[in-house]
Amino acid sequence: MNIIEIKDLSFSYQDEVDALSNVTLSVKKGEWVSVLGHNGSGKSTLSKLIIGLLKADSGEIKVDGVILNEESVHDIRRKIGIVFQNPDNQFVGVTVEDDIAFGMENLCFEQSDIVDKIKEYAEKVSMSEYLKKEPHALSGGQKQRVAIAGILAMKTDIIIFDEATSMLDPKGRESIMNYIKEINKAGVTVITITHDMKEAVLSDRIIILKEGRVIACGDTNDILNDKETLNSSNLELLLPLKLQYLLDEANLSNDKVKDILWQLSLNK
Amino acid sequence: MAIKFEQVNFEYPSFDGTNFSALKDINLEIAEKGEFITLIGETGSGKSTLVQHMNALIRPTTGSVTIYGIKIEKDTKKKGKVKLNPLRQRVGLVFQFPEYQLFEETVLKDIIFGPKNFGVKESVAIERAKQVIKHVGLDEEYLKRSPFNLSGGEKKRVSIAGILAMEPDILVLDEPTSGLDPKGRDDLLKLFMGIHNDLNKTVIIITHDMNTVYKYASRVLVMNEGHLVYDGLPQELFSKENIKSWNLDIPDIITITRQLEDKLDVNFDSQPHTIQELFELVKEVI
Amino acid sequence: MKNIIIGQYLPGTSFLYKMDPRSKIIALMILMISTFILKDVTHILIMLGVVLLILKIGGIPIVRIARGLKPIMILLLFTFTFQIIFIKTGNLIFDTELTLTVFTLPLMIFIILFWYLTRRYIKFKFLYLLITAFGILTMLSLYTPGSVLSSSTLEVYGDGLSGAFFIMVRLIIIVTLSTILTLTTKPTDLNLGLEKILKPLSIIRINAEEIAMIISIALRYIPTLLDEANKIMLAQASRGVDFTEGKFKDKVMQIISLLVPMFIISFKRSDDLANAMEARSFVPGKRRTRLHTLSWHNLDTTVIVFCIFIFISAITVRVMF
Repeated sequence: MNIIEIKDLSFSYQDEVDALSNVTLSVKKGEWVSVLGHNGSGKSTLSKLIIGLLKADSGEIKVDGVILNEESVHDIRRKIGIVFQNPDNQFVGVTVEDDIAFGMENLCFEQSDIVDKIKEYAEKVSMSEYLKKEPHALSGGQKQRVAIAGILAMKTDIIIFDEATSMLDPKGRESIMNYIKEINKAGVTVITITHDMKEAVLSDRIIILKEGRVIACGDTNDILNDKETLNSSNLELLLPLKLQYLLDEANLSNDKVKDILWQLSLNK
Repeated sequence: MAIKFEQVNFEYPSFDGTNFSALKDINLEIAEKGEFITLIGETGSGKSTLVQHMNALIRPTTGSVTIYGIKIEKDTKKKGKVKLNPLRQRVGLVFQFPEYQLFEETVLKDIIFGPKNFGVKESVAIERAKQVIKHVGLDEEYLKRSPFNLSGGEKKRVSIAGILAMEPDILVLDEPTSGLDPKGRDDLLKLFMGIHNDLNKTVIIITHDMNTVYKYASRVLVMNEGHLVYDGLPQELFSKENIKSWNLDIPDIITITRQLEDKLDVNFDSQPHTIQELFELVKEVI
Repeated sequence: MKNIIIGQYLPGTSFLYKMDPRSKIIALMILMISTFILKDVTHILIMLGVVLLILKIGGIPIVRIARGLKPIMILLLFTFTFQIIFIKTGNLIFDTELTLTVFTLPLMIFIILFWYLTRRYIKFKFLYLLITAFGILTMLSLYTPGSVLSSSTLEVYGDGLSGAFFIMVRLIIIVTLSTILTLTTKPTDLNLGLEKILKPLSIIRINAEEIAMIISIALRYIPTLLDEANKIMLAQASRGVDFTEGKFKDKVMQIISLLVPMFIISFKRSDDLANAMEARSFVPGKRRTRLHTLSWHNLDTTVIVFCIFIFISAITVRVMF
């Protein structure tokens, strides 16, 4: 079942070239999809359109069977959570517990329920010791974990990670990727927006955007085998993949080497 | 020696009395010419604090930093005899976010702001601006534009041009490639290599990307919890045992090479630096 | 990381910390009004005694209060002088001739200049000012060589002295009371308390919850902004901006080079923040539940009753005496 269906979606910022043109795609319930593209490919615009922070020029977005419009936007936001790129600019609360509570307060959860859920979800992202801490005492990765806890507590069906790791150091990045894996395993539909192919290969499916258009969309394995599309995507190829292509060109084939490189490409 | 750290400690003061110690016993020497240094370490390990000592933006709590023969210590007061501006002109420091420094109406005005502060005549500064804008890979036409209507990568280039126009001998860049996509990152790194090779300047880059370190650096400094724990060649760093405890990644090329060696049960003659080199090695064994 | 504390919250465990912020704000207001009702030196001294008693039981060090009084020292001195000079009723306590001569005029200018140049090196600046002022007055009244330029009489009357004393004590009480509130209440609790107290104002279309949300976001971002301002200053200092010196024209440029980036970054930040808040289902003006709720205890009732008692006593003594 498709939880998100997007048809012919176009959007442009004031008098500029189209940020997105005729984007059509769908996301199945419970899967993990990566939207992969270079800077300025329109991938972040797409996430803002899905939760109704921007209004499309034309086209249609359906979330869980409901068409996104002014009336339905608030209901749709209850179903989708989003972790943004900049850890500092999305931390609303004065302390960690306040920030985790923020979304639940907006959804009018009972106070006792909020208290329980803060404990439960702070535990899930290993931030229990930091509940009373203020944001400037936290690292970027910790702030992103708080954002994740706040969204998990709201029990949304879908979580979008909009370049959520791009401002973090390798350690922070790794921990966030691990939480994403866990969240997806627990049944939440995950969309990660990234320019890093190493992150994208972890997902079930990859959608590649280039200059506002979908140039490829398919299972991760198929996408990695699609040499032509990858070469034209302006993206940095994974090194093992590059090596495989070099070997292919030289007509050197060795199944064992191929298998090793494939496993490395998939980041396993 | 252009910059010399001797037993440098630095503490950030805090209101509750427990000072945060950001640098511990740093000893370090940096040559004026010909070095391409990467400075790595996890967030909060003291990298930014270290580079801010290099142009006397902050002074050590104990110990001393000697920059071009001028000794900076705790009580080297700003208003004393020591003029700090000549040092800041010679050691150009580019901050992580270009938004921290861009403020003028046009790119030109912003680029000549630095040189003018150091007493360069406006006409000379404008000539320099025309030069450096090309150096950072932008067209002269950009000089007329507003710095605020540029893309993230372009802003970064303009902010670097603003420092280059000061004609520093050493260029220090705090995480210049963070937030850029791979293409933007590679373009900038090529730019820095160009500055290093053509103008023969020492370049110091803070980064989290180990591929950058392995591919470009002639020397690597590793910070961990305020200590300088490694100072040497990148090749040797990544074969060290304790690299994991410093929370550093292994460059992709090394991971692939090791995997291939391990699973194919072979030993390559050399450690490859590029995928092309690795390809040549693999070709031999199959 | 650097630790930035907003406000002057002083952690503690006394009854002042156990009180609900609402009752603390209300109690503070009742006590302030009571102080303003009093018109007699003896009564205001009793009030000062009460305030000192609160400090003692509340376990707040006097030093912290003195620190709170520091910024208003000049105001205190000014009102004190004003009262003494201009109130000329009651019995004359003290009078002296102040004479300015060709000799003492330059001497006075010299002393003032000396004070001005040396004051930054003196630890007790306020005391130094007082001593200097007193020195000049003594010189003018006792030392009169040379031809007289002008002379006037300094007269201190009983009412002037007591009036000056009265106003000073009243100011000290007011400042002490508000300092007690800020020392024992976290800014966030204070904000929440104010929100609840201001809630009835929704009748006149003032939305206390929105104001509280704005204050809470301000509290959240002040440390971030300070940190950012510091980084911008360093970035511009790297480009040769010396924030410690420069002519007026340079100063203007320096400030612009700091403010423009601050504004641009803040706009971007508020844009991001608005998106993040909306994405998490925030709708301005819509009902929200709250994590933090306030609870009124017996202690709060006791304190309020005590304050009302003080208030009634104040009215009584004002009417009776």
